[in-house]
Amino acid sequence: MEKELTIDILSSVQKPARYTGGEFGSVIKPADQVEATIALAFPDVYEVGMSYLGFKILYHLLNRQQGVQAERVYAPWIDMEAKMRERNIPLRTLENKKSLKNCDIVGFTLQYELSYTNILNMLDLGGIPVLAAERTEADPLVIVGGPCVYNPEPLADFFDFAVIGEGEEVMLEVMEAYKAWKRAGKPGGRQGFLHKAVKISGIYVPSFYKPVYNENLTFKEIVPVEENAPAVVYKRVVKDMNSIDFPTAPIVPFGEIVHDRIMLEVFRGCSRGCRFCHAGMVYRPVRERKPEVLKRLARKLVDNTGYNEISLVSLSSADYSCLAPMVHDMIDEFKDDRVSVSLPSLRIDSFCVAIAKEIQAVRKSGLTFAPEAGSQKMRDVINKGVTEEDLMNAVGAAFASGWNSVKLYFMIGLPFENDDDVLAIADLARKVQYKYYQVTGKKGCKVTVSASFFVPKPYTAFQWFAQDDLENIRRKQFLLKDEIKTIKNVTLNYHDSKTGIIEAVFARGDRRLGKALLLAWQKGARFDGWSDCFSYDRWLEAFAEAGLDKDFYAARQRGENEAFPWEHISPGVSRRFLWNEWQKAYAQQLTHDCRRSNCTGCGVCQKLGVSIIDYKGEVEQ
Amino acid sequence: MKLRMQITKDPEIRFISHLEYVRTIGRAIRRAKLPAAYSEGFNPHLKFSLASALGVGVVSYTEFVEIELAEPMEVENAARALDAALPRGIRVLAADAVDTHHAALMSQAAGAGYRVTLPFSENVSDAVAQFNACQELLFKKAAPKTKIGYKEIDVKFYIPHLECVQNEEKTIFTFDCKITPTGSMKAVDLLNALNEQYQLNLPVAMADIERLRLYRLGKKGQQLPMLNNDAVRLS
Repeated sequence: MEKELTIDILSSVQKPARYTGGEFGSVIKPADQVEATIALAFPDVYEVGMSYLGFKILYHLLNRQQGVQAERVYAPWIDMEAKMRERNIPLRTLENKKSLKNCDIVGFTLQYELSYTNILNMLDLGGIPVLAAERTEADPLVIVGGPCVYNPEPLADFFDFAVIGEGEEVMLEVMEAYKAWKRAGKPGGRQGFLHKAVKISGIYVPSFYKPVYNENLTFKEIVPVEENAPAVVYKRVVKDMNSIDFPTAPIVPFGEIVHDRIMLEVFRGCSRGCRFCHAGMVYRPVRERKPEVLKRLARKLVDNTGYNEISLVSLSSADYSCLAPMVHDMIDEFKDDRVSVSLPSLRIDSFCVAIAKEIQAVRKSGLTFAPEAGSQKMRDVINKGVTEEDLMNAVGAAFASGWNSVKLYFMIGLPFENDDDVLAIADLARKVQYKYYQVTGKKGCKVTVSASFFVPKPYTAFQWFAQDDLENIRRKQFLLKDEIKTIKNVTLNYHDSKTGIIEAVFARGDRRLGKALLLAWQKGARFDGWSDCFSYDRWLEAFAEAGLDKDFYAARQRGENEAFPWEHISPGVSRRFLWNEWQKAYAQQLTHDCRRSNCTGCGVCQKLGVSIIDYKGEVEQ
Repeated sequence: MKLRMQITKDPEIRFISHLEYVRTIGRAIRRAKLPAAYSEGFNPHLKFSLASALGVGVVSYTEFVEIELAEPMEVENAARALDAALPRGIRVLAADAVDTHHAALMSQAAGAGYRVTLPFSENVSDAVAQFNACQELLFKKAAPKTKIGYKEIDVKFYIPHLECVQNEEKTIFTFDCKITPTGSMKAVDLLNALNEQYQLNLPVAMADIERLRLYRLGKKGQQLPMLNNDAVRLS
């Protein structure tokens, strides 16, 4: 009999409800109706993992599938981990309290590079060998998916296969294949299933490929070594968001989670083409849901959850073609239910301020804008497509509508940035304050400036870029800090840049990093995304012991013809397009949004046989 | 009109906090579409309250929620609708209705009956006999918000009598604990007080605490159920 979490353990840890399940909407099927159990494993704490829309969608779809039981598991916080290790209690799912080693498939989402050590830790706590090569026929298949899967190579030693792209369709195919294989008596064992799975479009089996490196240690190529392993695995993509099932009865947690509200996905993809943005490249093309569909989903979600807020989520919800009339209709429909509507982010224009004002009629919220860079030069480098005048119009409209504080998000450490560009952030904050004075005749507008450290990501125009080193980024942070100190009522938030360096190493890393990841975990690394758990020195030790140089990965400019270790996994964006974008960044030239204009040639629609779906012009009908 | 329902906090969800329990019931009221009243103002909230707060880890078969309705609704239908909208670990056992200005259940609760199950330990029956015979048992309960960090209470004031049965594996205590307008005491503090006073080794961390009953007092001091005699029972 496996050991369970006992009263004394649960009484002694923070937030014990993280570990006990039983929430409204959680699904437990009768054992005789379950052929295969998949654990949806989120490598962070419950409150973070429960906020992830991707798993809400998969949990719903997989549990609707006959014979499949999808369960949830999150990373236990360090207090709980200590108790589990002390008493040898395995990590188990919340639904049927199955230890991970007794599941058929354990699927991790790769949201963030700094959660990779938690994956190793969860496997270990769940009784599964962390290295794929050491797993036996008795062990589950460990799979990965999510945004970081476009470069899964640093994790290649640890997972059995990856699911590339949008999971709605391909995960059902994987589970069907798994059930058939299990029913047939698991022919060929694990290898037998991998050979079956690799034939499904969007599946990547890392053990079927062998990487080759150049003498100067750069990546040369990756060679398929097994039959049926495609040279390039393209992402799976849902063609029409209206025909795909969206969960209308998600789990409602007992406690407060990070995004504690209805999350209604209005569209997928974004083609604004910001050159730093990974999501903007890997989720193309834009595919909207119809307003009627969204309104129908919203009604069901309100009825089924009891939540009092609907967040219209997407990569840039203000760009939704039917936003204003839809928000209007929703506010009207749900007024009596005391349900408010919110947007996770605002575009920098007065249209958005007007929408924000309408939304605020129900519940008050702060205003946040993301100019991303302080100078016009830098905003052109990153293709933000926003001018100072746009920002002044937006904040002016906000101040005229009664707001007296704004938050502004920026990045520092961007390509081609010099000190003047950094100082321009402070200048912009000053101008925003002056705008408040112009509009209201009063002083004392509060401006919160948040400046994060830019991390170059694969499949973006900046994948060739050498990230600023620690010294340089710190110098820039202090430069900005000193400047902002001289302005009243402006506060600056910035994070320790060391995490950004480790994130950069893994974002553009290769398979050799697996060794460093394993070493870092063995040295105690986990919850690296949490500043109180992160240790930079531990990572430096791990790199040194693995014989790897962090700067080779993070702070090295790549040449035009250097092959990248992630190019056998593809979101469909062409390398030529990205290179051109990189050149245009240097030249400070803009690239327009293809959503309502001509094609800019990223290659996704043609490569994947999909097209943009946008309902602009159909609003009045 | 005010609906009053007896609900549970079953073992499977015992580790949710009181605040989480309250939030869960609030959302269930909305899902059940009960015609509940809302407060005025910018952030309107549902008008409902619980009769008493339950500690994290404590199971209860006798929690009470009072819901103020904006328009009347048939009691049984309301109880069934709420039951269906609650998560598995919370069930509606019974319900009645009173008028809006009826005294709150919270102000009427005079005591709670508990059962505490522990792994077996030695010398318990003697200690229980001494406890039942003594006039007063002072105990310093933790009070983190005070300057000195504790508050001295007389355990016997709250728990005049203790029953105990033991077998080779378990010790089971049952007792009633007084609830006063200024507060009550936690079941776990009874165990701490027994350990301290009688040098017992009760494994307090392993205590399985269940609240079995909540009651009010009649004019003659007799225990009365919280809900009216005509309350609807759900089976």
